[in-house]
Amino acid sequence: MKYFLYWGCSLEASGANFLVSLKPSCEALGMEFLEIEDWNCCGASVSYAGAGDLAIKVANARNLAIAEAEGGYDVVAPCSSCYIQMIKVNHEIKEDPDLLEQVNVCLAEGGLKYRGNLNVRHIQDVLYNDIGVDKIKERVIKPLSGLKVAGYVGCQSVRPYGEYDSVNKPVVQDRLLEALGAEAVPFPNKIKCCGSGLFVPEMDYCMELVKNILEDALNHGAKLISTVCPMCAMNLEIYQNRINDHYGTHFDVPIVYLTQLMAIAFGMDMKKHAALNYNLIPPEGVIHAAIG
Amino acid sequence: MENKMGYNASFAEEVFRNVDSGDEIKMCMNCGVCAASCPLREHMDYPPRQIFSLIRAGKREEVLGSQSIMLCTSCYTCVVKCPRSIPVMDVMHGLAHYALKKGYTPRIEAARFGKEFWNQVYRRGRVDERDLAQRAYFAGGFWEGVKKILEFADVGIKLVLHRRMKLIPEKKIKGISTLRKMLDKAEMLDKGRSVQ
Ligand code: SF4
Ligand code: SF4
Ligand code: SF4
Ligand code: SF4
Repeated sequence: MKYFLYWGCSLEASGANFLVSLKPSCEALGMEFLEIEDWNCCGASVSYAGAGDLAIKVANARNLAIAEAEGGYDVVAPCSSCYIQMIKVNHEIKEDPDLLEQVNVCLAEGGLKYRGNLNVRHIQDVLYNDIGVDKIKERVIKPLSGLKVAGYVGCQSVRPYGEYDSVNKPVVQDRLLEALGAEAVPFPNKIKCCGSGLFVPEMDYCMELVKNILEDALNHGAKLISTVCPMCAMNLEIYQNRINDHYGTHFDVPIVYLTQLMAIAFGMDMKKHAALNYNLIPPEGVIHAAIG
Repeated sequence: MENKMGYNASFAEEVFRNVDSGDEIKMCMNCGVCAASCPLREHMDYPPRQIFSLIRAGKREEVLGSQSIMLCTSCYTCVVKCPRSIPVMDVMHGLAHYALKKGYTPRIEAARFGKEFWNQVYRRGRVDERDLAQRAYFAGGFWEGVKKILEFADVGIKLVLHRRMKLIPEKKIKGISTLRKMLDKAEMLDKGRSVQ
């Protein structure tokens, strides 16, 4: 199956382990990815400080217009911020023909036009609904049996539309983890926000949000936390030292992408495909302890 | 100035007219569900519900000068929970954008970060995380920048060592000049344009 993969800026930098592991693990399931030619950044969740609402919509509609003209395959966005920005403009355009017209007046400045025919999908949506847990189970060579994982959903990957999962009690990530043989531990902070793009400028306030998430996952027995968002991963992983200094805690929890776990369970290379060497807190120890 | 809906016409009208999604608050019934949703509510001077009442009461300074409008993490919890289906988050973002345009500086660091983020989209079509961090650090002046660079050196070095930071600066996208034309046009057509 063909998809446009809109990986966004983070997956080329701080979220590189997501992209490196996503491609081989999803391709092993028969997915084929195309790049949106000359794509631009989605603006993420913080751009409103500098831009009006329409400009942010137009930036996203440009990517959609190019993808539509290049074949119209579903657009898959692994980054939650990219996903939410694109699906939001897509939704609003479909509901409001005046908005579509306004957006097109702007796109016409660059000779583009969007007809509103595309679907924007989250990577979890595609894995769960297009590929399915049965096919994933078939591909597993090294089941992650005994590995206790807290599947952290965060907020923007299921909210606000609940396209493919419940906004209040999401289950898709846990079902995918279970398909890999892992044990998905329940924890109430699963859908609590980590601070998002506000983490860096408002670190003093947001550290507490991350502390609560880490604590909750550990208290429920998790040995590592999986995510599907480069910003969740950054916020949960790279400031653990700082949080320890501030709260006197002792966090040292590996944060991995769901796709890294897929690559491992599919028997792929721990570095080349699962990209574990990109992680700042090495996950190899807990993974080997569980699956040998 | 009170009209029959209980709004102070002048400021409420200003918000309806100029703020992106501002008119959505007309449906608000003041239930407070949104305020209970905010992850950073403890740090907010006025949670969303109260911001909306202040708009009705015509408290312009309190609203545009408030910290809360810049303390939205964009988590969409309020959007999912509001019984009146008000896109609370969009209103908060709209208010923050409007306040900054009007010269208010709530939460200066968050504002600088967001503005620099958008600058990058506009200048290059892509965001260069390393460049973004540096520019956001130095936006408050040279020494503040140096202090921040030193404070976060550990994180930067680790990201480089783990191949998670680009060392070569991000290039402009090929269509940058047409992207800018599209964005300029959008700003011209946007709701608050009359007060640029
Ligand atoms: S959300 Fe982040 S990764 Fe996605 S395009 Fe925007 S800046 Fe780039
Ligand atoms: S949890 Fe944090 S980074 Fe993840 S989607 Fe929500 S705000 Fe974004
Ligand atoms: S949840 Fe909706 S109706 Fe209730 S106070 Fe907030 S905006 Fe108003
Ligand atoms: S989206 Fe913003 S306003 Fe709404 S609950 Fe989250 S932080 Fe609060």
